[in-house]
Amino acid sequence: MKKKTLALLLALVMALSLLAGCGNKNDTPAPTPDTPPADTQTPDTPDEPTEPAEPAPSETTPGGDLPRTETLYFAGQQWGTVNSWSPIGSNQNNAMAVTGKAAGSRTLMFETLYMYNPLDGSLTGLLADGDYQWNADQTEMTVKIKPAAKWSDGTPVTANDVKRTFDIGVQVGNGTGTGFGAYIEEIVAQDDSTVVIKAAKNDAGQAKNPLKILDFLSATLIAQAAWIDTMAARNNNDSVSILNDAGDDVVWSGPYTKYYSDDQKVVLIRDDNYWGQDASMWGKLPVPKYIAHTIYADNPAGENALKAGEVDVCQQFIGNIQDLWLKDGLPISTFYQEAPYGMCLTMPTAWYNMNIPVLAENPALRKAIAMAVDYDSIIANAMTNQSPSFADVPRSLMNPTDGEQALYNHDAVKDLQWVGNDIEGAKALLDEAGLVDSDGDGIREWNGEKISLNACCPNGWTDWQASMEIVAAAGEKIGVEITTSFPEWSIYQTVFTQPGQTEYQIFMYSPEAATPSNPWQRANQFLGKEYVGVENNWSGNWGQYVNEEADELILKIPTTTDTNELKDIYTKLVEIYLTEVPSFSLMYRPDQFHAVNESVWTNFPSADDGRNIPPMMCTDGYGIAALYDLELVG
Amino acid sequence: MKGYRKYFGKKILWFVITFIIAVILNFVLPRLMPADPVAAITGKLASGLTDASAVQEIYKRYEEEFGTNKSMIEQFFIFCGNAIKGDFGTSFSQYPRKVSDIIGSAIGWTVALQLPAILVGWLLGNILGAVAAYMKKGFDKVLLPVSLFMSNVPAFGMAVILLVVFGVTLKWSPIAGGYAYDMIPNMSWKFIASVIEHYQLPFWSIVLVSIGGQAVGMRSMSIYELNADYVKYARFLGIKDRKIVGYVFRNAMLPQVTGLALSIGTMIGGALVAEIIFSYPGLGSTMYAAVTAADYPLISATTLIITIMVLLATFLLDIIYGFIDPRVKAAQVD
Repeated sequence: MKKKTLALLLALVMALSLLAGCGNKNDTPAPTPDTPPADTQTPDTPDEPTEPAEPAPSETTPGGDLPRTETLYFAGQQWGTVNSWSPIGSNQNNAMAVTGKAAGSRTLMFETLYMYNPLDGSLTGLLADGDYQWNADQTEMTVKIKPAAKWSDGTPVTANDVKRTFDIGVQVGNGTGTGFGAYIEEIVAQDDSTVVIKAAKNDAGQAKNPLKILDFLSATLIAQAAWIDTMAARNNNDSVSILNDAGDDVVWSGPYTKYYSDDQKVVLIRDDNYWGQDASMWGKLPVPKYIAHTIYADNPAGENALKAGEVDVCQQFIGNIQDLWLKDGLPISTFYQEAPYGMCLTMPTAWYNMNIPVLAENPALRKAIAMAVDYDSIIANAMTNQSPSFADVPRSLMNPTDGEQALYNHDAVKDLQWVGNDIEGAKALLDEAGLVDSDGDGIREWNGEKISLNACCPNGWTDWQASMEIVAAAGEKIGVEITTSFPEWSIYQTVFTQPGQTEYQIFMYSPEAATPSNPWQRANQFLGKEYVGVENNWSGNWGQYVNEEADELILKIPTTTDTNELKDIYTKLVEIYLTEVPSFSLMYRPDQFHAVNESVWTNFPSADDGRNIPPMMCTDGYGIAALYDLELVG
Repeated sequence: MKGYRKYFGKKILWFVITFIIAVILNFVLPRLMPADPVAAITGKLASGLTDASAVQEIYKRYEEEFGTNKSMIEQFFIFCGNAIKGDFGTSFSQYPRKVSDIIGSAIGWTVALQLPAILVGWLLGNILGAVAAYMKKGFDKVLLPVSLFMSNVPAFGMAVILLVVFGVTLKWSPIAGGYAYDMIPNMSWKFIASVIEHYQLPFWSIVLVSIGGQAVGMRSMSIYELNADYVKYARFLGIKDRKIVGYVFRNAMLPQVTGLALSIGTMIGGALVAEIIFSYPGLGSTMYAAVTAADYPLISATTLIITIMVLLATFLLDIIYGFIDPRVKAAQVD
């Protein structure tokens, strides 16, 4: 009898706790059981793009299934729960709706003036109509707004929206304000459709940095001025409150809007009144009705889902990705058919800490270690060949794109470049510099002390950890003691961003990948003095290297318009970089890449399809063009 | 009755002292980590910024907002004052989400997964252990090595085995999430079925591991009790076997009840492995993420919950013991 009671009790507990689990994840109002399935609600609604319409998608009550043939699933972007839908805030943790970056903002819900395409470095108008125009001395830029561009409430997108987005950014210090406030003096709405961006000027009366204004065009998600006013008013114009506003009532201009989000997924739904179906933009709606991103615990979980066909577009680094189609026979493909499979734009770099005297005072030691490292082994093992080798793309300050590679004179610096694993060359260099092993313990000495360094990167970043092990092995071969150390990221990021730190001696971090302002920005990160001595430095030059000549050259770049002169400056900078070796890149890592599973959707962009759509998740920069061409399999 | 009052009074006093010390440790220990979570938030916002002074401004603003520029003692009293009101502050890693909001949305899943799993594992394990001790021979010979094996498989090992065998290879069960990837929560049978389907692997990964340990413990206790003098004496008296078995299991059960109470108390920590491997929502993975991100407020709040649960479990246990087994009370009072 007692056992029966216990069993009954147990069953009750299970049932109750199951229900408790279900009940907890409804952040949105609980749908009633008789809510019709989501897929029956709007697909047949006639498109009436010319008439201002109510924001219908947010009125629908989420519930039931997401029809597989109407939903495009993503992985690799959203980690953790969405915080906010406001494009003005910070820390929204809302990857699908609010991701603004110069390298290509995600324009599903909010839109930028222009879409960046790293394939050719071009900017294509989105909210902007036609090309931007500089005035003669590059201090003012004029951008026209497309007449067709509308907000979800039916009102037109105006120049004042751009102005207000920038102004509030500066006021509250969000990404737009802190990122561009120093380079843009003000934005003027000349009339409803004409935006004039006035550059901040240096002492010589030149624009401080016209390149950063190009970044603004592709990075900044424009919000509606009227909504910003409402939102600022309810937060009493207080900066912190504005930054943390949940933005539930936000007005959008993009093709999708919020539909559902909880701890496990975020779903956007297509706005069938989207202005972009006007002939002046896309001429049609994007194909998938829903954009869904399951929140996976880690990369392996996302990878498993991709293999299982539960994810269509995945931007996670997958080692030996070719095995997915060659060995497993899955309908998975990448942008390039052959290695490196994606666009390798970022250059994870080992930085020498100039607070360590032996490193600061011995360029020969810096170069010798860099020469001895076996990069082919890093690329083959840590990157499973998803990176061009340093023989394919000789090292410089540039990423491997044709545009950047054309910016310096390759022949002029040929003798300074190295491909790695040159043990004898490295030893000779050290011997020549007088760094020899005089006590016979196998380790070279400097000023009577053996040269002993550590090589650090965050724990769990496995490709980086493998790289640091290979750097340590190179040290051993040339008589320099290098031990590896892998602190947790939470600690690592606290230490390496401090200018005076001596804890990490050789340590890893990546400079900027590809944006309209590169390679200037990367050169500044490698050699610029601007970031030396800065506390909590997330901007660049983490090794604290100072070179006055390089700094002067870097300052010249933004205002130099003559291409030959520009090429000379970059060539000189590459020469300094390869001679002084304040840091050395270990690989060219994929930055814009995706793996797609074509079991449901097909016609994803690929390198040879002639469409010039970059592999940017079908959502970022000009990559969003892919959403309009998708087709269902069969 | 006076004995009970003294017993409980003493117990409560000790629990209050333990609680105060635990709260202090919960607050101080995470903050001794050599990490700076304010720098982490700044980093998230500042990556790609070229203007160095702008980054400084962001850092200062967050430092001000989180109060990390105040002294530790000052921060502690602010923390206590707010915690009493149920406000554990704002999370660093999921800024600007409130800690109470994060915990609120995760705890239901953890309790729903862990409580039934612990109870089922405990019940099945004890029944199997007791039966093995009583029946001996063949059953025991099979059960003991199997239980020993199971109890020594680490929780993550069991979870990975289940994931690979039933999820990846046989495809009987989904491999991630709390419900189907192509569903949105709603009160339909299809959704409930999906939740139950996703529940299976994490549930059994916990149950299977705990069955082994419980069975081994119960078997040893039962064998010990079965050979005790009172059993022999009862047999001499001619008391029925059924009755004797009842006494034996009641006595053998005492340490097992302690085990149960403690595993319920520590269920959040125990949920970690299953939650991470199956991408299952819950407090375990929340706590793990908080620790790796040095998210003090979230760590303090989750560890405080664990502390309170363990204290409550042991407190209730002590009280129950006082009633079930007067020897315990007597020993404590003396």
